[in-house]
Amino acid sequence: MTVTAPVGSAYRDRVAAALAAGWQARSLYAAADGQLVRIALTAADGRSLIETVAADSDGSVPSVADLVPAMAWDEREAHDLHGITFTGHEPMRPLANHSAPLAEWTVPVRGHDPYQVAVGPIHAGVIESGHFRFHVVGDKILHLDARLFYKHRGLERAAEGQPITAALAVVSRACAACTAANGVAYSIAAEQALGLRAAPQLARARALLVELERVWNHLNDIAAVCAGTGMAAGNAWFLALTEQARRLNASLTGHRFLFGSVQVGGSTLTIDAGTVSRCARELAGLRAAAESGWRELEFNASFQDRLGGVGIVAARDCSRLGVVGPAARAAGLAEDARAVSPYPGHDAFRPVTPENAAGDVKDRLGQRMLELRQAFAILEVLLDQGPLLPAEAVVGDAPGPVGFGITESPRGATTCIIERAGDAVRRVRLRTASYANWPAVAHAAAGSLLPDFPLINKSFELCYACADR
Amino acid sequence: MTSTAIAGAAVQLVGGIVLAPLLPGLIQYWKARLQGRPGPSPLQPYRELRRLWRKSTVDVAGATAVYRLAPSLAAASLLGAIGLVPVVADSPDLGVGHDVIALIGLLAIARFALAAAAWDTGSGFSLMGASRDLTISVFTEVALLLAVTVAAIVTRTTSLTGMISGTAGGHVWSSPALPLGTAAFALVVIAETGRQPFDNPDTHLELTMIHEGPLLEYAGRDLAYLHWVSAARHWLLLVLAAVLFLPHPHGTWAQLALLPAELVAMCAALAVAETLMVKMRLLLAPRLLGIAAVVALLGIVARQAGIS
Repeated sequence: MTVTAPVGSAYRDRVAAALAAGWQARSLYAAADGQLVRIALTAADGRSLIETVAADSDGSVPSVADLVPAMAWDEREAHDLHGITFTGHEPMRPLANHSAPLAEWTVPVRGHDPYQVAVGPIHAGVIESGHFRFHVVGDKILHLDARLFYKHRGLERAAEGQPITAALAVVSRACAACTAANGVAYSIAAEQALGLRAAPQLARARALLVELERVWNHLNDIAAVCAGTGMAAGNAWFLALTEQARRLNASLTGHRFLFGSVQVGGSTLTIDAGTVSRCARELAGLRAAAESGWRELEFNASFQDRLGGVGIVAARDCSRLGVVGPAARAAGLAEDARAVSPYPGHDAFRPVTPENAAGDVKDRLGQRMLELRQAFAILEVLLDQGPLLPAEAVVGDAPGPVGFGITESPRGATTCIIERAGDAVRRVRLRTASYANWPAVAHAAAGSLLPDFPLINKSFELCYACADR
Repeated sequence: MTSTAIAGAAVQLVGGIVLAPLLPGLIQYWKARLQGRPGPSPLQPYRELRRLWRKSTVDVAGATAVYRLAPSLAAASLLGAIGLVPVVADSPDLGVGHDVIALIGLLAIARFALAAAAWDTGSGFSLMGASRDLTISVFTEVALLLAVTVAAIVTRTTSLTGMISGTAGGHVWSSPALPLGTAAFALVVIAETGRQPFDNPDTHLELTMIHEGPLLEYAGRDLAYLHWVSAARHWLLLVLAAVLFLPHPHGTWAQLALLPAELVAMCAALAVAETLMVKMRLLLAPRLLGIAAVVALLGIVARQAGIS
């Protein structure tokens, strides 16, 4: 990984040049108490690059949101939480700051008979907190303004000053649904900064955790789409499978959500040969049950009729908005952090995309099933290698002040950047796949019918907690 | 009054007022079973009513009498409708007559009262639900009117008692008119009772609600009234389906004996249909009701053309 020295006005040109050379922006954040702004980019071959810009004396840096709209939320966050002014980012709508009046954070909508429907932050169901403001005409959505950060707990700030190994707990508690992926992204970043790398046994343990997490999440997401259409039987079926997968997690790691199973610099996860073969059997049973449930869904015409052409985010918009994970692949973009991951089970990994990918609810749902099959296959390979023993990281590249980690979470690429001061965390930035994809939900909603929004939302099934941190 | 008339009136009133909540309860119970869950008991709606009845009502700030009176008005019109819809051919007139056109009017009053209340509170979700309900009801009412017209033409009366005796026995099923009316009425039942594929009675997803929408602003006793209204609607439509659009015998006692079996069977059918079918796209609902109307029209044409 390359970290450049702070530059001034050349920053925009350098970012533009990297983007033109095919690099993808992954994270943008304020560092060194608001004196620096850094942007992390990755190349298709897995190399990473961090460009740095120094803030002016008045705390302003040039905005790159026009070059790479995917970083617009990052700039808004750095503005709200670190007081950075991004010149050229107009209007600067608040993201984490909830004290701004309505007119400042919503987009003005004019025309014949538009009205606003405000939903949340408290919802009629077991749903996380988020406020959605729909601008609608009749039942048609013109525009959606989402206000998140109700679950902002200042986790990144809480991690600052803590020992690098201890701060993992803070990051992996950002959210339950992605805890393994978040923890692994953090660990990779931490090990890179400390000059370590994962040996095959350690990498195998982590790949196992990340894929176990993917299995229960994808089962849960299929259930959620069923609920969004009123397909109660499908919802019940896939929720039961979700719970089975979580119980399998508990029997392997001691926690249904895999909390506490990732460590920096090693892995204490031990699975004996008997448990490995039982786990493989249970996963085969889950796979068969998921396939039979999926067949029922595929042959239910009234269910299928709800999915096509709804909530489209096309490939071009996915690239522009920086959409990652199943949502991007459902639009035909074959990008996946696992494709360049050195982890066993991932080494021959090729991302799959649906046939004639259109980026609608149908494709996002179908993509979950494609990836579920992949995850089961990867788990089979990983479990075939016998019992899992504790492992340590080995010496890697030279240690540095900054580490960058990327993992494919169930919702897409999650990145974590650590800046260290000795053995303590100086700054940590966790940018989850949910954070990357939220703008796409608003994009997908525009032009759809209001009663279709729950379905569209569930086809992304993003976390609020790990976006808000 | 004959003993059969007294028995018919008793079943009509006790069934409509007291037993009605059992119908949605049964549907919920079987739906849960079909989803592989134990689910709540079929008596759950009664427990809900008891719970709500004990609670005080909460008024929306700034709302007027329109909001205040809507639950009672809706309940009163459904009560009138229960008095109007007989369960047997020789039911006595309970003071509201037996005219089927009046029934459609009474159902419309209940709908109007709730829509007006939604407008009165100005709540976004209530208004959204009410506007969707009114939009779809434009098509439901046409289909309902045409379906009962089939039965009315077949029996040459709009009096429900006359229609019950006219559609009793096997001979009416030899011509295509009444079966076509039955097909149309089946869709009307699903739409009017607010079940899938038209509406999802289980959902509280704010953005998808139709019938649940206007109920959001009510609590306590008012909400109990409205829950009962929804149950009474199930009773009315399923009873109409049983006594007009399903085969039934001539004798009063035989009709009374068959009614519970047919009601329970229809609840089971609704549970199965709701398990197999998801909620359809909102803007396609009028199309399905349009099909119901066309099927009913075909029944009318078949009858007038003398096809038998």
